[in-house]
Amino acid sequence: MSLTHVERIVRPASVREAWEARMRAPEATRFLAGGVDLVLYAPPSVTTLVDLAGLGLGAIRPDGQDLVIGATATLSEALASDLVRAAAGGFLGDVLRRVASPLQRNVATVGGAAVRAHPWSDVVPALLVLDAELEAFDGNEVRVPLAGAGALGRDVFPLVTAIRIPAAWLGARAAFEKFARSGFDVATLNCACAVRLEKGICREARVAVGGTPGLARRLPDAEAALCGGKLTADRIAAAADAAARTIDARDDRRASAAYRRRLAAVGVRRCLTALGTEERSRR
Amino acid sequence: MIRLIVNGREESWDAAPGDTLLDVLRREGWVGVKKGCGAGDCGACTVLLNGRAVNACLVLAARAEGAEVVTIEGLSRDGTLHPVQEAFLETGAVQCGYCTPGMVLSAVALLAENARPTEDEIREAVAGNLCRCTGYVKQVEAIERAAARLRGER
Repeated sequence: MSLTHVERIVRPASVREAWEARMRAPEATRFLAGGVDLVLYAPPSVTTLVDLAGLGLGAIRPDGQDLVIGATATLSEALASDLVRAAAGGFLGDVLRRVASPLQRNVATVGGAAVRAHPWSDVVPALLVLDAELEAFDGNEVRVPLAGAGALGRDVFPLVTAIRIPAAWLGARAAFEKFARSGFDVATLNCACAVRLEKGICREARVAVGGTPGLARRLPDAEAALCGGKLTADRIAAAADAAARTIDARDDRRASAAYRRRLAAVGVRRCLTALGTEERSRR
Repeated sequence: MIRLIVNGREESWDAAPGDTLLDVLRREGWVGVKKGCGAGDCGACTVLLNGRAVNACLVLAARAEGAEVVTIEGLSRDGTLHPVQEAFLETGAVQCGYCTPGMVLSAVALLAENARPTEDEIREAVAGNLCRCTGYVKQVEAIERAAARLRGER
C-alpha cells in the first residue's frame, strides 16, 4: 500500500541534520529506518520522511563492558551478531528469533521496534528486563532509560541512535515467554524475566509483561517477591501471583482480561522455573 | 526516480516517495511478485533485496535505490529453472500457486546461507510465507530436495 500522502524523502548527512529536518515540521515528519511501521501505520498527516539509512547507525559493538546495538540494525543483523546472541546467556537471541517472520526481521530495525513500542512488542519487554537505555539526540546527545516515564510510544521523541544494554544485566540469566496463535503472530501476552544471582540467592530481579493489551512494563511487586532468597517454587509462585494481580489486564479481540491474568501467571512461572532449573544445573 | 538492478538488469524508474517496492515492481511488469495482504503477513510479495528475502509490500521503493532485486522471474537461466523451482514441480509443492513465488524465493535465500538446513530451519525460513492449499509438507520436501541437489547429492 503506497503512502500517497508522502511528498518527499530527506536524506540528511548527520544526526543533527536529521533532527533539524524533523523539527521543522514535527507532526508532518517521521524518521525512516526500516520503514515497516511507517508503511503500515503512518497517519495521512505525514508528508516528509527523514531517511536514517546513510547515517551509519547500524553498528553492533561492545562499549567497555556494555553492549551497544545501533538503532538501524535490522532484527536479522542483530540476530546474526555473536554479541547479541550471547547477551544474558542467549536470552536476547532467543527473543529475536520469535519476533515476527524472517521476512519482516530482514527489514524491521531494533531501534524502530524499541521506539514505536507497540503493546504487543516482544522486543520491549526483553529490553526492559535488561535495563536497556536509549541513546538519542534531541539537539544534544542524551540517554533515556527505556523504562523511563513517558519514554515509549511518543510520536515526537528524540532521535534514537542506539540501544545500550548495561554490563550488569548482560551477564544476568533471563528467559522469555510468548503466547500467540502462531509462531510469528503478535503476542496475546508476553513476558520476560531476568535475575542476578549470587551463590544461588536472587539479589536483583526484573519482570516485565506486555500485550496486556497495554504496553509492556515492569512489575515491581513480582520483582520484590523474588529477591533475597533462592528461586524456590514458593518464590516463583509468589512472583507469578503478583504478576497476575498487577498487570493492567483488559479485554480486547485477542483475549479477555481474566485470560490474560492467567497467561501472565503461567508465563512468569515458566520463565522463572527455567531460570531456577538452569541455575541448579550450573551448580 | 530510483535506480536499481532488477533480475540482473539496470533500471531507472519513476517512483513517488511513498511508493512501495511491490507497487513499483508490478507497475514495471514484474508481476511474479504477488500482491496479497499488503501488510507483511502473507509473504506473497517476497523478493530478494541484496540477497535477503523481504516483504516488498513493507519496503519503500526509495529504500531500494542502488540495490539488487531478484524476483521469481530472475531465477531461471536460459530457460532452465532454478533447482528450487524444479523441486517444487517434482514434489507437487504447488497447488493454486499464489504463494509459490514468495515461498521459492525464501527457500533460495535460505539455501544461499545454509546448504544443509534441518526441517525446523526450513520451516522457520518460510514462516512468513502463508500457503492456504498444501499444509506445507510438500514445500518442505521440495526445499530438502533442492538442498540436496544443490549439494550435488541428487
